[in-house]
Amino acid sequence: MAASRTTMENEDNIPEYEYVDVNTNVFHIGSFQSEWLKRLSPQEWSYQQQDETEFDANFAKDMQINAQTMDALKSVCSYDSLCCHPEEEKPDMETVPEDSILRTLLQRKKRQDYKASLKIHKNRHDLYAEELDRLTVVRKPDTVTDMLPEGEIILTINIYYPAVFDKFNYVRPHMTLLMTGSHTLAELRDAICCVSDLQVCGEFSNTPDVAPDFTSKDLYKSAFFFFEGIFYNDMRFPECQDISMTIIEWAKSHNFPPYSQAGMEDTRFSDLKVKVGFPYLYCHQGDCEHLVIITDVRLTHRDDCLDKKFYPLLIHKHRIATQKCAVCHIFIGRWFTKNDQFAPSDPCLFCEKCFRMLHYDSEGKKLGNFVAYPYVDRGAFN
Amino acid sequence: MAFDGKFRRSGSELVKLDCDYLLGLFQKTESVRFEVFTKIWKETKFSEIFHGTLVHENRPFSRLVLRVAYTYFVPPHSFQIRVGGLYLLYCLYFSQRASPPEKIHIALKDWGDVKKFERDAVEAHHYDIVYILRQLMHTKAFYFSAMPMELSFKKYKNHQAPLRCEKFIERASRPQELISIELLDELSNVHSHYDKLKGSVFSESEHSSSSVNLIQKDLVPQLRSTVVDFHTWQQKRSCLKPEDDSCVPVEESGEGTASHEETNKRAQLLASIKTKAYGQATEASKSRRHRQVELELSNSVEAETLNNQARPNFKKRTSLKSRICDSVHISGDIEKATPKTTVIYRLVTVDSEGPGQTEGGNKDVQNSGGDKDTG
Ligand SMILES: [Zn+2]
Ligand SMILES: [Zn+2]
Repeated sequence: MAASRTTMENEDNIPEYEYVDVNTNVFHIGSFQSEWLKRLSPQEWSYQQQDETEFDANFAKDMQINAQTMDALKSVCSYDSLCCHPEEEKPDMETVPEDSILRTLLQRKKRQDYKASLKIHKNRHDLYAEELDRLTVVRKPDTVTDMLPEGEIILTINIYYPAVFDKFNYVRPHMTLLMTGSHTLAELRDAICCVSDLQVCGEFSNTPDVAPDFTSKDLYKSAFFFFEGIFYNDMRFPECQDISMTIIEWAKSHNFPPYSQAGMEDTRFSDLKVKVGFPYLYCHQGDCEHLVIITDVRLTHRDDCLDKKFYPLLIHKHRIATQKCAVCHIFIGRWFTKNDQFAPSDPCLFCEKCFRMLHYDSEGKKLGNFVAYPYVDRGAFN
Repeated sequence: MAFDGKFRRSGSELVKLDCDYLLGLFQKTESVRFEVFTKIWKETKFSEIFHGTLVHENRPFSRLVLRVAYTYFVPPHSFQIRVGGLYLLYCLYFSQRASPPEKIHIALKDWGDVKKFERDAVEAHHYDIVYILRQLMHTKAFYFSAMPMELSFKKYKNHQAPLRCEKFIERASRPQELISIELLDELSNVHSHYDKLKGSVFSESEHSSSSVNLIQKDLVPQLRSTVVDFHTWQQKRSCLKPEDDSCVPVEESGEGTASHEETNKRAQLLASIKTKAYGQATEASKSRRHRQVELELSNSVEAETLNNQARPNFKKRTSLKSRICDSVHISGDIEKATPKTTVIYRLVTVDSEGPGQTEGGNKDVQNSGGDKDTG
């Protein structure tokens, strides 16, 4: 596979827009990386910052200017002189300035007044967002071996909710991950959390204690990613099947352009040819389909989390409202019943405690003729 | 952006209006001095743009502001506006409230332009420009990225073609752009065709008679030399001596608009117009879109690399796969990357040291041969 990839050296791998501000054309991530490294000096992509005096000395030498000129230049260009306020009066950064001519600020003022009129200080979303911002703190590794190599690629990947969700949200990604060029697609797969992997199939009203031992992830291990005409199948386990074959054969019989296959675990991101911003597919559990969008590809930066161990790094997680128990309205639903004479509705959702209390006697004997299925709330990963 | 969504204008539109305003003031000064820029920055209290955001808005807002400011730093804006864009990035980067500071995404496709911009500034001894740019590099303010922003296949509400402030665009070479080799070629073709047609109507002996010779024989060469003259005049005018390297320059006028090197490149283009002979058959029809560039620079090595770069990346969408892509795609009102802008811009910066050539020059030449055949 690696050989077939390198035959594409004829193409330039400089991303351009295919549709402006929407997505790029196809490029090879590994070649993109080397194009950048070729253009930059090691100093430019190093995590080390050059010493300030060394920088000044180099600049003066390069521009052939004397020390006096250099000093004048430095004082003119100093960003300490940028502050719009006299030094003694520190501006209040928290409130929107009243008298500004900037359109952005007029708007922000209007919005702030509007929010104040609603008397809501901070909604849940605001609070949660603050929590996330704290997550982006830079982590430096303890050992050199855990250090993300300089000049490595970092990808930002959005995973969206599967289309089967009734409140399918097309816009807000379910989760956003940072991954490196040396990660494989299998590592991406393992980082994606989806409730359909946790579902337990079957009716367990007679044996509620044995139910949640086998999740779908253990039972149905096959999955694939689809990028640019290639299905990348998870073939790590003997139980894994090539579930893309059906599609490929169907496509062939309907005169579609040919698709090919590759192994998820053998494919690193730097081997991939992709469009940034373009929706691709992750499919698991047979029909749980997620859109996957690579929103950014870039070189690593000294302010990134440089500890390899933290990758794939979750930087955004959408929280969704959990479904509460129909009885206590406090705990998250764990059981889903049908034909249930004790239930206020059919079907109905119960938490573990209410379910046991209502449906079984003190010896654990089933009361009535209902059926019960283990239920995993989609907010389970919150 | 999300937090401005409820109101009529999007956050990025408002930021853009503010940047337009600031850079409009900068443009009026006809200066490229950082000192002049900071004066305007302070007078407009532009750093207040970061004031009053909620804590969780700091980072997204920084990202938005830097993304908007970046657009002024790259072509097709005039040199002076690009300088303003650079200063704006510098000031915004150091005034933002996000910590660690949000980085500026610089796209690989723009890197060549940035280095070219730096070379121009060095050659013209604009120390403050070079210093600010290198200082940003030194503080590691950039992400070396695929694109200048994160892309998530989103169609923005009220999203139109990236509206650019018309007066910020580099326009110095309009006549040259209009009277291109393509146009001259076509004109001379039509001309000779007309000539032949007329000739065929009359007998040999009548050819000397005045009615056949009403057309102006030397129209094409004359038009060509007029453009060349205009260019020479233009070049003379803009050839104000760059300042001495005695000190940080204080005030200057008019120089920012077109740098030396750029005019020199245009001269090279003009030279290629000069050397081309007319009256021979034009190349067989190629896609019109491509032809301008291809013809303008025929026979030169630059042309080959340029072709490679300027070749629009849309393949003909015939495969089912791409048709599906289209139908899944956000309908037709999305603006395709306009090859026209690219073409005009590329013309301005034909550059013998382009990024494609410093290291992979030979490769490019070999490749483009193959490309031409298939394309
Ligand atoms: Zn799923
Ligand atoms: Zn309950």
